[in-house]
Amino acid sequence: MVMKSGGFYYGKKLLLFLFSIFLLSAVIFFISRLAPGDPLVSYYGDHAERMSPEERQWAEEKLGLTDSLPVQYVHWLERALQGDFGISYKYKRDVTEVIGERMGNTLILGGIGFCLIFGLALALGIFCAWREESLADRVICKIGTVTSCIPEFWMSLLLILIFAMNLKWLPSSGAYTLGGTRDLEDRIRHLILPLTAVIMGHLWYYAYMIRNKILEEARADYVLFARSKGLKKSSIVLKHCLRNVLPTYLSLMAISLPHILGGTYIIEMVFSYPGIGTLAYESARYKDYNLLMVLSILSGITVILCSIVAEIINERMNPCIRGNHIVEDTEVAER
Amino acid sequence: MRELLEVKNLSVSIDTPKGEVEAVRNVSFSLKAGETLVIVGESGCGKSIMCKTIAKLLPPSARMKSGSISIKGEDIAQYGEKEMRRLRCEGFSMVFQDPMTSLNPTMTIGSQIGEAVRVHEPGISSQELKKKVIGLMELVGIENPKERKKMYPNQLSGGMGQRSVIAMALAKDPELLIADEPTTALDATVQAQILELFREIQKKQKAGIILVTHDMGVVARAADRVGVMYAGKIVEVGTAEEILYDPRHPYTQGLLRSLPWFSRGRKTLYTIPGMPPTLIHPPKGDAFACRNAYALQIDYEQEPPMFPVTETHAAATWLLDKRAPKLPTVSPEKEIEREEEVGEEILLDVQHVTHLFPMTKKTVVRAVEDVSFQIRRGEIFGLVGESGCGKSTLARCIMNIYKPQKGKIMLNGLDVWDSKVFSANRKLLQRKRQLIFQDSDSSLNPRMKVWEIIAEPLKIQHIMPPRGSLREEAAFQMHYVGLDPAYLDQYPTELSGGQRQRVAIARALVMEPELLVADEPLASLDVSIQAQIVNLFRHLQQEHGFSFLFIAHDLAMVEFLCDRVGVMYQGRLVETGSVRDLFSNPQHPYTKSLLKSISLPDFRQQTAGRTGSW
Repeated sequence: MVMKSGGFYYGKKLLLFLFSIFLLSAVIFFISRLAPGDPLVSYYGDHAERMSPEERQWAEEKLGLTDSLPVQYVHWLERALQGDFGISYKYKRDVTEVIGERMGNTLILGGIGFCLIFGLALALGIFCAWREESLADRVICKIGTVTSCIPEFWMSLLLILIFAMNLKWLPSSGAYTLGGTRDLEDRIRHLILPLTAVIMGHLWYYAYMIRNKILEEARADYVLFARSKGLKKSSIVLKHCLRNVLPTYLSLMAISLPHILGGTYIIEMVFSYPGIGTLAYESARYKDYNLLMVLSILSGITVILCSIVAEIINERMNPCIRGNHIVEDTEVAER
Repeated sequence: MRELLEVKNLSVSIDTPKGEVEAVRNVSFSLKAGETLVIVGESGCGKSIMCKTIAKLLPPSARMKSGSISIKGEDIAQYGEKEMRRLRCEGFSMVFQDPMTSLNPTMTIGSQIGEAVRVHEPGISSQELKKKVIGLMELVGIENPKERKKMYPNQLSGGMGQRSVIAMALAKDPELLIADEPTTALDATVQAQILELFREIQKKQKAGIILVTHDMGVVARAADRVGVMYAGKIVEVGTAEEILYDPRHPYTQGLLRSLPWFSRGRKTLYTIPGMPPTLIHPPKGDAFACRNAYALQIDYEQEPPMFPVTETHAAATWLLDKRAPKLPTVSPEKEIEREEEVGEEILLDVQHVTHLFPMTKKTVVRAVEDVSFQIRRGEIFGLVGESGCGKSTLARCIMNIYKPQKGKIMLNGLDVWDSKVFSANRKLLQRKRQLIFQDSDSSLNPRMKVWEIIAEPLKIQHIMPPRGSLREEAAFQMHYVGLDPAYLDQYPTELSGGQRQRVAIARALVMEPELLVADEPLASLDVSIQAQIVNLFRHLQQEHGFSFLFIAHDLAMVEFLCDRVGVMYQGRLVETGSVRDLFSNPQHPYTKSLLKSISLPDFRQQTAGRTGSW
């Protein structure tokens, strides 16, 4: 493993990061304008359809939509670099402000969902590996495979149908009851269904990975040796196997954070949950360009940051990759 | 003395997709405290499975069918995991073959040893634990234990790794220690030290040790008593001296005779004909009968019982029955002085080759440094040295795989690394050198049939097969290396290790090379199969005039096979010379220590002197 000196290494990573974001912004900018649709609709609502050509011309000029695309992009970039991302056409407010309001909701749903998936998958995986091939293990494996095959939006609809429509236990949409007290209990009641949908969609994928990785480790020679040392099964599984599985798991989780967030976007839509997901959907649909740009770039940053974190985890937690080797065997393959 | 371990009528079988393999068949033996029992046998004879049965560490596909195992009078045959754990904590230890896989790569050596100590003494304080770990590391001969205990397994050499494994086994003051091929993965010099360590443990701790091996050298160095295993059975037991001096079972005799020192100075090595049987449907009667030149009618019909020879010595062969005919004593072939048939023409000329691997910005591994030697046409040049000394790197430089940073490699007077010369003579240079790898398992594509593998080089180089079609050419080459052309349409996994290595050799020969570079071609083979391959090399050299670069760490084989030897140590060629000069009068201290590590204890050398007696 060739380790470059720290500054150079991170400098290169940072440059690459900035370049990717720049490229992303350009691609999104042009693609979003290629798609059919009328941005004026999101600004003026239904009124846009009744506008006279002169009014239209005036409105487009006001929004800066008459210049050629590259010029528009350069304008956007100039302002963006000064921290001004423009206003949302629909909400007529600063884009950052609009996003800021909704961000918390998504972070709560996605964050709690992510943490629960992380913990539950670990527990479930260990449980199944512990009881390999037992009835419990086999039943959980079957159920898990089925649930992870169900698409998230359908699962959400099913949950709404059962728990909100038929049983009327839980609310089906929003973050708070309209005109309600907006207290914690209300909040939690609104979170339960979307959270369940988020978790059900992803949990088994990770739990199954943990289960199989642990079982794979359990077949390794060092486990046999640990058993012959007289260690308990619990300390073999938890101390030895898990320790070797964790780096892979952590880096996988880091990579899949955007994936899970992407899943929450769809679920937010179905539950009309006021988060980034609904916002992103609306902005793409109604050509709210400024909003769309920022949301895309935010997602991009998350993806790239997560993969950098995953890479760092991999490099730091694995003693084989970690630096300063004692080099005695030049030809490991020789043996 | 009371028996420490007693195994009676043990049978174990393994379920495989092809059927039930009777891996261990009706085995009985016992072990006293303070005694070392060495179990010898070839791979697949069931010795490892037997150890795992005793330790109750069998894989789920295997199960113990019958028999009893008692440790200190306690019958453990029906014990579950819980009771076994108690036994393991109380002093029943195991050591496995490869230290690199039996250590957890993500935990430091110190913490892994500590674990073993804590299992044995649950209430130990962390201060004492630290002291005990350091004490154990010193006991097994690890220097600087305070620093070393913070290291991860991949930072240690193989010998250090195995020492740490042994330290863990010793953490429980074991009374019974089972070691499954503990030295096989290690270099010759380290092997000797580890065996020495076992001897010390046996004396100091009064432990009973079972050592499993395929190497007769280990028997001579470590054994008090020996059990020889063949096809799932123990066919002969006796004290080390009895087995080495006076083997009665034809299999034991064959094993000893196929060692290179027996055939020293002769043209070919002795080989046991045939192959061990598969144990899915073990043969009726004596499993060794079909490989035994003196097999009697009864051998094919009825299993021989153990015939006692002396009080401690017994063998299962009908040849010991009173009614059996007396065996003719095997007189060794007349000793032939190997003629110097080697010409003066230089085939390969390696001049001051240096190859470095950059590791980090500042450090560089000098894998090969300033190495020069020559191979004459028709010569077998042996290259020996411990793992990591740069032998394989050098072979790869010669094969145009790694580009040496300095120096020249001339084949037939052509510089193989000069790009102009190379592109002008590309086809010729590619044909004239061929490489044979250590592990035929991974060097043959498992999805290609044998004939496709053998004929592939011709296809790649667009050479018309000289004997008609590619298939016919492959059949011819198989015949050439002693393989039945019936295997043409089989896949490598269907062949045994020795047969696969022959396929690899046939693939090299199909190009009609002048130089064969064999990189540890014997290392993954059993003793009796090794002898067959060595004989093949000898045949190819003498009858067909091939030249070899023979890379090995087994000095005895090198002594038998090679004309000249080079010894590599830490990337440098420290000594070269003819086999006779180098083995009788080594100059470099490293060569001396290498030779010392294979020189055997006294009684073994006496045996070598009186080989004619059986």
